[in-house]
Amino acid sequence: MLKHIIIAATIFILIFGAFSVQAEKSTEMFIPIGQSPGLSGEYTVMGKIDQVNARDQSIKMSGPSGSYTVRMTKHTLIYLDRSKTQLPNSYGTLADCKVGDMAEVKFVDNARSKPIEWIKVQKAK
Amino acid sequence: MKPIVVLICGLLLLVGCHTPAPPPTPDPDAELIEKGRQIFFNETFDGNGRTCGTCHPAENNFVIDPAFIASLPDDDPLFVAEFNPALKENFENPRLMREFGLITENLDGFDDLANKFTLRGVPHTLGLRFTIDSSLGPRTGWSGDGSPGDGSLRSFATGAVIQHFTKTLNRVAGVDFRLPTNAELDALEAFQFSLGRQQELTLPLPLKGTVANRGQAIFNDLTLGKCSACHFNAGANFNPNIPFPVTGNLNFNTGVEDLPDQPQDLTGELVPPDDGFGIPGDGTFNTPALIEAADTGPFFHNNAIETIEGSVAFYNGDAFNNSPAGQLIQQATGSGINLDGTQVVEVAAFLRVINALENIRQSIELLEPVARKSHQTVEQGLQLLDLAGRETEDSIMVLSAGGLHPEAVQHLKEALRLTRKAKRSIFSKSHLARQAIEQQQKARAELVETS
Repeated sequence: MLKHIIIAATIFILIFGAFSVQAEKSTEMFIPIGQSPGLSGEYTVMGKIDQVNARDQSIKMSGPSGSYTVRMTKHTLIYLDRSKTQLPNSYGTLADCKVGDMAEVKFVDNARSKPIEWIKVQKAK
Repeated sequence: MKPIVVLICGLLLLVGCHTPAPPPTPDPDAELIEKGRQIFFNETFDGNGRTCGTCHPAENNFVIDPAFIASLPDDDPLFVAEFNPALKENFENPRLMREFGLITENLDGFDDLANKFTLRGVPHTLGLRFTIDSSLGPRTGWSGDGSPGDGSLRSFATGAVIQHFTKTLNRVAGVDFRLPTNAELDALEAFQFSLGRQQELTLPLPLKGTVANRGQAIFNDLTLGKCSACHFNAGANFNPNIPFPVTGNLNFNTGVEDLPDQPQDLTGELVPPDDGFGIPGDGTFNTPALIEAADTGPFFHNNAIETIEGSVAFYNGDAFNNSPAGQLIQQATGSGINLDGTQVVEVAAFLRVINALENIRQSIELLEPVARKSHQTVEQGLQLLDLAGRETEDSIMVLSAGGLHPEAVQHLKEALRLTRKAKRSIFSKSHLARQAIEQQQKARAELVETS
């Protein structure tokens, strides 16, 4: 009986991905930079964009904790934060990430060695 | 004339000299919880007028259902889509809200509001201390991914404000709403954790009722009802005695979306399938606790089934037994769930009784401060009595509708009469509350062996 349960559970997990940690992504887009609850200031990094490398899908940023390069994947969400201009936020592309923009990034599994799950780019004008 | 004046003065003096008994050991979080309560019921976050309490009213077990919705005035903020032109389209479906208690959610994104949405019931916020944690992190909302940020209960209000409180569909922070501050999120979390039971049940209970007792046995039997595999101790957590790679509050695809005649689908309104957890969804939904179930229907994420008996019977049907969760049960135990009519009613009776027991516990908890005169204000005392009365009404309804424990129902009716009388009384509130507690205790003694 127990063996069956373990086998069934393993199959279940292999087939269904319901056992990953996941926060709600859709409303995250509307949260201004630096205000994501439980993440901002603890698990995210903020800084100015110094360089955008489209070829290897990376962004070099610098902030209070120094300079660092973050990697993106095809799954990385790019949020454009226009709340400062009182315009609706939206999804963006790498082309919307401009040198000088303030940005906040969240890493996959909150591990800085991993690519980023999302980046919020503040559009001040 | 003079004796009357003296009598009145004496009475006034007595009232004036009334010193409330000291409250029991103060909860260190009491101030934070009270702040959270105020925010939960009064704070609109500069939005469209809704508060958390709009969809989670204390007087209706923190849920809304069609009967409660029908009791609200047309200008209630719940119906904001009916009178705010900016929210008329693609914010709510008023017909499905009023008829089935369904709320619009854009969990898969806000890029196609007309076509990309889900319609879900409102889950209660009781017993949250035991219904969120899993070994892989917190699970909030119907699909377990209801909170933005770190996905915790603390973060839930931020997403709720964006989804439900906005003045326009632009959803611009600082324009259409303001986001909760960290201090407000702390207070809201403390308040929500304070709601409902603060302990898990430990089954089996020494139930007195034959039918409910049999229901409990079926519920706990992993070869028959199999309910306790996912609802250990009738809660929301997976049975820790079954080896499983993950623990706590889990998600499963139980096939509810495959039910053939879902009420909202029969209306002709657009009801897109709900894909559950994640973007795109994997079809799984979060396991709710069952202790609070019997008085918080309709049931399942889409309010598909109105009665607790129907909800138990769901697990006999093809939708469940052909679902991934149903298949898992079959692989693990060699068969699906196949309860007959009497067994369905017996499991439902068990769920009704444990719900009534929880309502009785809550009623007593609400009445005690009045009996001890330890409530802070007259208004607070009236609120406690009001909520105690509503919990008692639920107990009566839950037992009566299942034809269960008529003697207990009589005690509960008397408790309700005394509670209402206490609410009206000026001088005998405490005495009447004590009498109401005694009736609640007698009702409980009819349901379960008490030591």
